[in-house]
Amino acid sequence: MTVYRIEIDRSLCSGFGACVDEAGDAFRLENGIAVAVTTSTDPRVLEAAAACPMGAITVVEEQAA
Amino acid sequence: MKTDPTFWLLARASGLTAYALLTASVLAGLVLKSRPFRSLKPASVTDTHRFLALLGLGAIALHGLTLVVDKTVHLTPAALLVPGASPYRPLPVGIGVLAAELMLVVYASFALRRRIGTRNWRRLHWATYAIFGAATVHGLAAGTDTAQPWALSLYLAAIGSVAGAATWRALAPPLSPQPRRTS
Repeated sequence: MTVYRIEIDRSLCSGFGACVDEAGDAFRLENGIAVAVTTSTDPRVLEAAAACPMGAITVVEEQAA
Repeated sequence: MKTDPTFWLLARASGLTAYALLTASVLAGLVLKSRPFRSLKPASVTDTHRFLALLGLGAIALHGLTLVVDKTVHLTPAALLVPGASPYRPLPVGIGVLAAELMLVVYASFALRRRIGTRNWRRLHWATYAIFGAATVHGLAAGTDTAQPWALSLYLAAIGSVAGAATWRALAPPLSPQPRRTS
């Protein structure tokens, strides 16, 4: 099973909200800045990373045991 | 007495400048969406996209202002806001007014995107294609310099590059980056 670890560069994030649109279960906006769950199994987090207009989201694939 | 052509020349130059800036902004937006150049930082492209649009709106404001000040065509301030109110080439000028107003709405929607929702914001952004088309028609039909080869080249280059970039965007596979493997 694939687990995605999500990293947000808070210095880049502009609070655009595209990530919330793509994967609302994993992302939310807090005080205008995106915050994410640490890990997710939802492949839509990849879409969220691609949709970010600031390129602030990195998704790292990890193989869970 | 010969009338001073300064504002008339400024009006034409700022119109063409606005069109070039709108085209550049549209291209930057399409580059942001389809990311054909992987080395470009999305944040820089986003900033460039917005800044070009803002500059374009500035050029449009100058375009309208100089047309009102100049006496070659008799444009009232109301004709700048109401499509079709211009006695000079009412249809092409009206199309230009509409394009400018729509562009202002799309630009302003960035600040309102949280209130209207990102999804609606994105839908509204589709209007950009209509704005570009309307601006092209406006320039070709109302512009004094349309018949000049250099002006025609500008329009053709703009249409060609936007059509090419839009096709790329439509045909390129959707962005889903390969995740990095850590182990």
